Amino acid sequence: MNDKLIVSTSPHLHKKEESVAKIMWLVALSLLPAGAAGVFIFGLSALWVIILGVVSAVITELILQVLTKNKITILDGSAVITGLLLAYNLPPKVPFWLPIIGSVFAIAIGKQVFGGLGQNIFNPALVGRVFLMASWPKYMTAFTQPLPAGVGLSYDAVTQATPLAILKETKILEQLSYWGLFLGKRGGCIGEVCILALLLGVIFLLAKGYISWHIPVSYIATVGIFTYIFGPKGLFSGDWLFHILSGGLILGAFFMATDYVTSPLTRKGHLVFGVGCGLLTAVIRLWGGYPEGVSYAILMMNAAAPLIDRYTRNRVYGTS
Amino acid sequence: MKTLVREFVKGIIKENPTFVLALGLCPTLAVSVSLSNGIGMGIAATFVLIGSNIIIALIKEMIPERIRIPCYIVVIATFVTITELTMKAYSPALDRALGIYVPLIVVNCIVLGRAEAFASKQSVLNSLFDGIGMGVGFTLALILISGIREFLGAGKLFGHVLIKGFEPAFVVGMPSGALLVIGLLLGFFNILKEKRQ
Amino acid sequence: MNLGQFLTIFISSVFIYNVILSRFLGLCSFIAISKETRPALAMSLAVMFVTTMSSLITWLIYRFLLVPFGLTYLRTISFILVIATFVQFVEMVIRKTSPPLYRFFGIYLPLITVNCAVLGVAVLNTDMFFVNGKAVPGSFYYSVFQGICVGLGYTLAMLLMSAIRERLDFCNVPKALKEFPLAFIIASIMSLSFMGFNGFKF
Repeated sequence: MNDKLIVSTSPHLHKKEESVAKIMWLVALSLLPAGAAGVFIFGLSALWVIILGVVSAVITELILQVLTKNKITILDGSAVITGLLLAYNLPPKVPFWLPIIGSVFAIAIGKQVFGGLGQNIFNPALVGRVFLMASWPKYMTAFTQPLPAGVGLSYDAVTQATPLAILKETKILEQLSYWGLFLGKRGGCIGEVCILALLLGVIFLLAKGYISWHIPVSYIATVGIFTYIFGPKGLFSGDWLFHILSGGLILGAFFMATDYVTSPLTRKGHLVFGVGCGLLTAVIRLWGGYPEGVSYAILMMNAAAPLIDRYTRNRVYGTS
Repeated sequence: MKTLVREFVKGIIKENPTFVLALGLCPTLAVSVSLSNGIGMGIAATFVLIGSNIIIALIKEMIPERIRIPCYIVVIATFVTITELTMKAYSPALDRALGIYVPLIVVNCIVLGRAEAFASKQSVLNSLFDGIGMGVGFTLALILISGIREFLGAGKLFGHVLIKGFEPAFVVGMPSGALLVIGLLLGFFNILKEKRQ
Repeated sequence: MNLGQFLTIFISSVFIYNVILSRFLGLCSFIAISKETRPALAMSLAVMFVTTMSSLITWLIYRFLLVPFGLTYLRTISFILVIATFVQFVEMVIRKTSPPLYRFFGIYLPLITVNCAVLGVAVLNTDMFFVNGKAVPGSFYYSVFQGICVGLGYTLAMLLMSAIRERLDFCNVPKALKEFPLAFIIASIMSLSFMGFNGFKF
């Protein structure tokens, strides 16, 4: 992609016929299966988290844009996406004020402070999530068990740690089948557990060309390779499939690391970005204090994206 | 007399070292985790500021221009050492809480900045009031920031819980929260400045 | 002296307890000089050189002068004098040997004297690698290495921040937040994301 002449920031429109708003709403649509799966797996409290997250995000953006006398853009779908992604990164049973504060912070500090859409450096949903994690760790790490099959939608839930958390504590892999991980029969955040539902959205986005494969593939491959090499029983003994399927990796790699605004502009930059995210995620998972590193890894690479852009600029013909 | 009052007052609002001059930020953010720490640092820095301003204003004629910065630093470092030792003796808990930021008062931009910009050029009496004013301004800024951070980050003020059942946002007590609070406060004061014009 | 300690020092100084984003040392220059990449890089390299060399010299002074003669209360004064003298010396050398480089650094060079990071790491070395006045085994190498790593951490934060701020020149940031407030908010988010390294254990 020749972007030597473009002087603005993302999102850059690939197809003239589709407006930014239309793309945003379709991305939001592609996220719905994951949310629906989360509600089905964890119960109605998850639905409340999602609703509160989305509504707070939209209202915050509205209020801030009115206060600063800017154009009101809540109908472009980007606040909705931020609200959804934030909610998807939360455990299913959190106090009602948690998604509200998270969304407010995500929109206000993660996005509007920079001037609004296209200008933020960091992924707003992740900014919100990391803020919540640092502020109220006890709520952010209280996960519940999936509801027993046949119970349908209800409010009951039993506390249980996520597979990655168990791995961090006991160093023993949870006896979960890969199929169970894939379908979402595990503790975790609302939108991250059901890989199947996530992939439905991913296939749609890839088919429409709204995201490209470079970042997700380089990200996931790096995590897989690294965790395979540095396995628990010595080199080359890692369970890479477990690592790829657990935690927020699929959600993060396909829906958050690929955000046009907060990732580099060039293809080469995308690969560097993906590999960087992968390395950081793997290192935190294997040796850091937290069981999951996706949010931090992506945010750190968001910070590095402008630097990556600077050094992967296409050379102008005729200059050294 | 009017000039003296003016020198004193400017340090509090118009030329507040923290919010207007953006000086001495390192210790401000690190130490403002609780009100008691904030006030302790404010007092320590004020003492150093007053002492160094007076001495430097007294000996300014005798300092060769080329080595003036190291000379100022020797004077400031002397006062900092006095403060450090006094604190270790009479208030070891505060000394432990403030940690390396007590010796770091030596490189606190406020102290060196006032020495260079003011005490080296003005009379002893003016320098004294400038020092007091800047010190008070700094301490007030510390009180504001520490108060916010202790309340939002730990749910307490001076170590006492205020509202039962209030869940504090721990991040506010961490470095990240400090940077955020001061960024937002700076922005807020900018808005106030705009409104006044 | 064990290798794991070097790795821990590296990871702590550069990432977990990053001198700017976690310890707040060197903030003034960070906020003021991180607007553009080239000056930021120049400042960072200069700072790294000074932190390394002053870690070395201050360690020697502490170990062979202050401790044996019971003068540890003179730590602050002696360290800062060493740093001020050293920066002055570096300034003179650069001015003599490479005038273009001297002009390139400009005022940044003398400003390093009051960079909290330099005095901070010198004091930190004596706090961390001396127990009751006695140097722990390997103390010298740990201290100098920590000086290098603190410089690296400073460089990392500066590079990231300057690239970000250069990019933000294209954006319409709310007026009240332009310049300093936004720089603090960005630093805050960067600090939040670096928390991912907490609890690191090899």
